[in-house]
Amino acid sequence: MSELHNRSQTSARRSDYVWQYEYYDDEEPVSFEGLKAHRYSIVIGFWVGLAVFVIFMFFVLTLLTKTGAPHQENPDAADKRHRPGSCLVDIEDQKDKSDKAFSRPLLTGTRSYFNFYVNEEGQAQRENNREDGGGSFKDRRGTRSSDVMEEEIEDAGTPHPLNGLIEESRMERERVFLSQYNIPNFVNLEHSSTLGEDDLVYEPSVVLERHSQTPCDTH
Amino acid sequence: MNTNSLNRTDCPEVKVPFLIFFTVGMVSLAENSLVVLAVILNRNLHSPMYCFICSLAAFNTIASLTKTWENLMIVFADVGHLEKRGPSETKLDDMMDCLLCMSFVGSIFSFLAIAVDRYITIFHALRYHNIMTMQRTGGILVFIWTTCGVSAVLMVRFFDFKFIMICFVVFFIVSLGIICFLYVYMFLLARIHAKSIAALPPGGEGALTLTILFGAFVVCWAPFFTHLIIIMVCPLNPYCECYRSLFQLHVVLIMSHALIDPAIYAFRSAELRYTFRKMLLCLSRKLCC
Repeated sequence: MSELHNRSQTSARRSDYVWQYEYYDDEEPVSFEGLKAHRYSIVIGFWVGLAVFVIFMFFVLTLLTKTGAPHQENPDAADKRHRPGSCLVDIEDQKDKSDKAFSRPLLTGTRSYFNFYVNEEGQAQRENNREDGGGSFKDRRGTRSSDVMEEEIEDAGTPHPLNGLIEESRMERERVFLSQYNIPNFVNLEHSSTLGEDDLVYEPSVVLERHSQTPCDTH
Repeated sequence: MNTNSLNRTDCPEVKVPFLIFFTVGMVSLAENSLVVLAVILNRNLHSPMYCFICSLAAFNTIASLTKTWENLMIVFADVGHLEKRGPSETKLDDMMDCLLCMSFVGSIFSFLAIAVDRYITIFHALRYHNIMTMQRTGGILVFIWTTCGVSAVLMVRFFDFKFIMICFVVFFIVSLGIICFLYVYMFLLARIHAKSIAALPPGGEGALTLTILFGAFVVCWAPFFTHLIIIMVCPLNPYCECYRSLFQLHVVLIMSHALIDPAIYAFRSAELRYTFRKMLLCLSRKLCC
């Protein structure tokens, strides 16, 4: 009798197992006596920890964003001041930053293109290219969907045959270039396009155009 | 039920009404199948990024379908139409667990793939089209689906072995770490370069977006995996028992993650939204005519 009773009890217990909770072991009782802390302390602790983690992550990211903002303001403000009529040196801002590794390849990469372009193109061509460049850059900036890092500049690289054309005036050009260099603008143009051969030749012209049009006092 | 007073638990299992499961499941099914359909139908969306988003949506579809079906079967079993321990029901239950496991592992793999794809888009942009060709994407997807299928079968077959569960949890933690690292790295470098480049990264990944992306993933998945850890580590501890009593809530969380995934990943793309509008317009026209 007792055996039957036991069997029926265990079979009743087995049939009481819920569909998916196969690992709920009802045969081994869990005693709830003598609990020091609250029953749901693990649950509460877990959710509090999770909330703290997410909020912490958010604050860290926001803080990183905010520390970036003041640096961002200067080039933008300088930009607006530059365009109407004066050229200022923006290089100092870049030099103060820790990301020199990123700024240097930009300079070395673009310098050659500037110089190449200055030697090759005439004033009239620059005039013509300016309107085209303005419109197409807007398009390219819209379609370009990602930030491109220094790799793009390095990959675009220095076309060796072109370098040979500019050796003699290179130092002079560099001085002029650096004094008129406006990294945010140029990098915008540079990065906002898919770089092809014609683009690389094309883009410096717009920046150069802007600089040449505005009377520049080298400081 | 346990009639013995010693066995009475002070932490009764928290039951989520079937209606909630059903609603969440249905809505998530509709959303995700819409995403899958949109990506397949629109030729412009046949790019690696959208393929991974489509794969994620497909896994979520399978998950919500399976979960809703399982809940239907539980309701039938509770009412009495189904026998809980019958052979066919057990096999069906195993199959559904397989599909669920597959979709869980698959969605985690898809998140990884999306994060890696975004990383390559940002940091290897020039070589992106050489690195991430459509053939490679197809190969990656085949690999993901095969791995998920095989691991799901193994997991359900050998669920008794703790090793499988440990693998599962370790896999989750490692994926979480990789995804977190990739996104934070992308965010940091994009912020640094945003100082000199006034262009925003794709999807406008500001602090809020990234927090939502990653926060939703962690908030929805961590409770379930903590549950698995607790089963392995402290099955008899009363505190752990109280945590385990919230199992159904944790499952609802996972299902709701399948619900909000399209909003986080897919609907942020203008092209996809445009495809939706077109699809719905065509559908309404067909219904009207």
